[in-house]
Amino acid sequence: MSSTGFNSQNGAGGQPYANGPSQNPVALHPSGPGYNMAHQPPYNPTQVKGPMPPGPGLYNSGPYQPVPLVGSYQAPPGQPMLHRPSMGPPQPMTPPQSASPGPGLRMPPAQATPPPPVSANSYYQHPPSWQYGAPPPIGAPPSMAVPQHGPVANHVTSSPSPAPPQLSVGYNAAPPAIHNTMQPLGPPATLQGYTQPGSAPPMNSMVAPQSYQPGHIQTPGNGAPFPNSLDHLETGHTMTGPAPPPGPPARHMGQSYPALPPGYQNTSAPPNASPMHHPMQTPSQPYSHAPQQYQQTSAGPAQLSPSLAGLSLQSQTPEALRVVNLLQERNLLPPGPISPPTPCLPQDLQKINCHPEVFRSTLTSIPQTQSLLNKAKLPLGLLLHPFKDLTQLPVVTSSTIVRCRSCRTYINPFVSFLDQRRWKCNLCYRVNDVPEEFMYNPVSRSYGEPHKRPEVQNATIEFIAPSEYMLRPPQPAVYLFVLDVSHNAVETGYLDVVCQSLLENINSLPGDSRTKIGFITFDSTIHFYNLQEGLSQPQMLIVSDIEDIFLPTPDSLLVNLDECTEMVQDLLKSLPHMFGKTMETQSALGPALQAAFKLLSPTGGRVSVFQTQLPNLGVGSLKSREDPNQRASAKDIQHLSPATDFYKKLALDCSGQQVAVDLFLLSSQYCDLASLGCISRYSAGSVYYYPSYHQQHNPAQVECFQKDLKRYLTRKIGFEAVMRIRCTKGLSIHTFHGNFFVRSTDLLSLPNVNPDAGFAVQMSIEENLVDMQVVSFQAALLYTSSKGERRIRVHTLCLPVVNSLSDIFAGADVQAITGLLASMAVDRSVTASLSDARDAMTNASIDSLTSYRTSVLTIQQPGLLAPACLRLFPLYILALLKQKAFRTGTSTKLDDRVFAMCQLKYQPLAYVMLMIHPALYRVDDLTDEGALNISERTIPQPRVQQLSVEKLSREGAFLMDAGSVIYLWIGRNCNPNFLTQVLGVPSYPAVPQNMTMLPELDTAESQRTRAFIGWLREQRPFFPILHVVRDESPLKASFMQNMIEDRTESALSYYEFLLHIQQQVSK
Amino acid sequence: MVLLTMIAQVADGLPLAASMQDDEQSGRDLQHYQSQAKQLCRKLNAQSPNRCTLEAGVMSFHYIIEHGVCYLALCEAVFPKKLVFAYLEELQNEFNELHGKKVPIVSRPYSFIEFDMYIQKTKKHYVDSRTRRNLGSINTELQGVQRIMVANIEEVLQRGEALSALDSKASNLSSLSKKYRSDAKYLNIRSTYAKIAAGAVFFITLIVYVRFWWI
Repeated sequence: MSSTGFNSQNGAGGQPYANGPSQNPVALHPSGPGYNMAHQPPYNPTQVKGPMPPGPGLYNSGPYQPVPLVGSYQAPPGQPMLHRPSMGPPQPMTPPQSASPGPGLRMPPAQATPPPPVSANSYYQHPPSWQYGAPPPIGAPPSMAVPQHGPVANHVTSSPSPAPPQLSVGYNAAPPAIHNTMQPLGPPATLQGYTQPGSAPPMNSMVAPQSYQPGHIQTPGNGAPFPNSLDHLETGHTMTGPAPPPGPPARHMGQSYPALPPGYQNTSAPPNASPMHHPMQTPSQPYSHAPQQYQQTSAGPAQLSPSLAGLSLQSQTPEALRVVNLLQERNLLPPGPISPPTPCLPQDLQKINCHPEVFRSTLTSIPQTQSLLNKAKLPLGLLLHPFKDLTQLPVVTSSTIVRCRSCRTYINPFVSFLDQRRWKCNLCYRVNDVPEEFMYNPVSRSYGEPHKRPEVQNATIEFIAPSEYMLRPPQPAVYLFVLDVSHNAVETGYLDVVCQSLLENINSLPGDSRTKIGFITFDSTIHFYNLQEGLSQPQMLIVSDIEDIFLPTPDSLLVNLDECTEMVQDLLKSLPHMFGKTMETQSALGPALQAAFKLLSPTGGRVSVFQTQLPNLGVGSLKSREDPNQRASAKDIQHLSPATDFYKKLALDCSGQQVAVDLFLLSSQYCDLASLGCISRYSAGSVYYYPSYHQQHNPAQVECFQKDLKRYLTRKIGFEAVMRIRCTKGLSIHTFHGNFFVRSTDLLSLPNVNPDAGFAVQMSIEENLVDMQVVSFQAALLYTSSKGERRIRVHTLCLPVVNSLSDIFAGADVQAITGLLASMAVDRSVTASLSDARDAMTNASIDSLTSYRTSVLTIQQPGLLAPACLRLFPLYILALLKQKAFRTGTSTKLDDRVFAMCQLKYQPLAYVMLMIHPALYRVDDLTDEGALNISERTIPQPRVQQLSVEKLSREGAFLMDAGSVIYLWIGRNCNPNFLTQVLGVPSYPAVPQNMTMLPELDTAESQRTRAFIGWLREQRPFFPILHVVRDESPLKASFMQNMIEDRTESALSYYEFLLHIQQQVSK
Repeated sequence: MVLLTMIAQVADGLPLAASMQDDEQSGRDLQHYQSQAKQLCRKLNAQSPNRCTLEAGVMSFHYIIEHGVCYLALCEAVFPKKLVFAYLEELQNEFNELHGKKVPIVSRPYSFIEFDMYIQKTKKHYVDSRTRRNLGSINTELQGVQRIMVANIEEVLQRGEALSALDSKASNLSSLSKKYRSDAKYLNIRSTYAKIAAGAVFFITLIVYVRFWWI
């Protein structure tokens, strides 16, 4: 158990444990919170918990080296193999039982009988001893269950009781007990103070082999014998005579299961007793039977995903809590996309709940109290994608919008109607009257059924706002383009693409007949364009006084698009050639932005800035802050925060005038995105970055830029928007992530809102949610559409409240947690340091798994145990640590890093997850088996592979989908059929070096591959470029960097990372 | 010069179209006038005079009502009235022609916001008072302008308020008097009870006295 988390939440520094000081040297527990939601700013500075061993030296990789199956884990070179200890009864055939060697050494077998639950302390001690002492009799598990039931149940019920002092006593027992067992893996120096000398080294080598080796042996064989075991889960009927699973692992499992049922019974404790729990609660057999089923299937991950996808609500809770030993099971990835967990709500509520792609919580079961949340060590927050393009969205026009009179919540499906004329708000519990208009249902044309109105039937709905929601008449769509035309910019040739795209899409820009458009170009001076009707050609007005910028003419710089289309087209056609011979190298971006602000401030609108170099003239000029030589070696990354607050201030001014600035950065050199990005961040714009853009040299970037621009110009847009997120009384939102400006405590000001923007918020529980069964969250986005309509889009999410830790863990949404942690870590790396953020992320996984181990698991098995729903957590954390934004050691350009950070904060979760953990598919053997059929196209569905070189084979071709980029890796001995039929080349050497498109061949293989890639691309709004990668390609390095399960020179492999976590967890 | 133009339904004050102000110096205090204009539109009813000028400090509102639609403009007080009314007249003609029939059926605010384009163009013509066109229109409108009523914006806005205050006072009074009445009734009943009780006590004492002392 890692102690740091508790330090933080108890609020006491130093020593939280009553009996700690005598045993634990203070130095062992550097104080520092994991993440503290309640009273301090989020993500408090964490000190390094167990310092990550910098090199391979500390990892005892020896033991698993000889295992032949582990080939992919590259053992660190030069590491002497630790000898295996010859310990009393080694029991090589039944490794798991003895895998926690500590108690085995210390406690005589006589203690095997469970000690009576005299004091709280004993609760935690007995599981290990009990586990150790009972030699597992095959087929006789029921006898074990009887004596165990009492004490175990006691323990579980006692743990959620929110009495801190007692708790700390209860926990006290844990650290010493476990310390003895697992301690030697830890950072050695201080620990040795209280380990018994001599016993440490043997244990050191014990842990790894015994917990890992069997896993590998198990993996292939164990899944097969019980293919139908999941059926029992779904039906939930009792199995009278459970066949004892054969083999050593099964024996081990059989021993463990009797302890689990009480835990489960507790999960469906009365307050949250949703109807579907009852069938499972009544007989005790299903329970004692269920866990066993899980363990039988545990080695077969292939069966897991159908269960995840197809499981009914009924059996979900146990499934999510199935104990997974991460060190033993390697194939954790489901074959397809991971579906978010379903909140444990009554079916009729869940049916109308908000779609998880729009509104998602990190915990689908909200803990009842903050102390419970603190104990779970999981971050609580929401992830939103509020303006997502929706295929179907009910729109309501009504003169009065029904809202709660005290908290202004919009009426939603989760309110309760007391009678025909009164409804009770689900956020503040105030009783409100139902207005007369609301009694009439326009859909069914009936009267007196307020609960059938569309507002009460849809969790996502849009209202046409009446005039009370407008401070001023709705603004027209206004687009201003600010283009860099310095020598550097002309050299890249981006102007052609921008002007061409604009010409093509000028009629599909969202807007009505009031739409306005304008252009500004700049180098060392600012150029305005008078596009007034009646002029023979556009008139260029140059302002060279960049110190005090002014508009050369009051009107005609922004013109009506309908009336002046020809003039605009003229300008766009001539613009790329106008600056062809420019020798001006300076760039006055700051003054140009000021000019843009001046031009747009009366109306508001969107500014699109295209910049290709570091601004070096006038206000807001920047200096290069990056030292390329320090990139890889620097211990900590500097300059993640802006160099000047000019851009932030200007962005805040813009935000006040409803102007948003979108930044397109096309540059090969350092551009200080950390500073420039502020202009978009606070004005709710978006940032696009095309490193080393060049028209000739980098055609892939050009294509990507073109596609992005097309999407950018034609996508939906909302102007002068504000968003407010409300939640049930007792919960409070304290930190927001994304691009916006927080105007008042909970009002996000969004001058523009676009369908590709994601947001995240962190929450804390301020008052205990004691007698509530559900809580609700509502996000309301008020915006002006491009057609001049004021609209309100309302999303409401409803989640159950639970009061036991196991329920919280059962409802954890690992992707959402990862997404939120990533956002928090970005903040942390800017405010504190990158290494701090990395430690905080590692600690987050350690803390939650520790908490799971100590508070939820009733028996202490060896290995790194995680609930099934969190089984990917360490993998995602490792992926984050190796992500461009947070990686160290590898040479990463500062701008690349900052851009990755921007994306982590700003992209919706679905796209962020691909950036964090790319999906790898084998594509040389695509078949139509299990394919999707969408509008008469057949899209093959290959399974997702682990990101390890081990999975690559020279005979195959692999597709890696990393969100914004797709790699197609061709093995050296790739199937010639694939080469000819898909790539259209005769042999491997003939694969072109810079291939970015698949030829349209008329073969089945080609069609399948293209259909698959096309389908992947359709799922996201931006356009991922395809790179065909072969061994000699320069891109091979970036392809390989995504192999996050493998070790690199500076980062741990997945298995090493797990060991590190395990060592911290069991400390 | 015309700073703000608004077209609204008279019946319920629903704004139909408005012209955005694209003037830099006005951004600050225009918000105040904007809300005044909205209030004004809500206050107007069928009984309001068809043409009126309302003074609001250095600014004045001018409006005309035609076919149940109010055309309202905000100008500096010094701006010639005739010009404003000519401008509003022109807007009215155009708007009535384009959207007149649709007005009664719309429910969404600013349904005809695109009319803004026409407003802005017309405004440009009138802002420059040197335009010959303006002079011509001034001459023709000169007669009508004399008869336009002038009032103060505050008075108009507060007229309704005073009435509603009076109304609320009256209803307060009536509820108070009702309360008084019920209280009085209650008190009457109580005093009656008290009298009866006193009599009863007297008689009981009398009976007891008679019984114990006389017999």
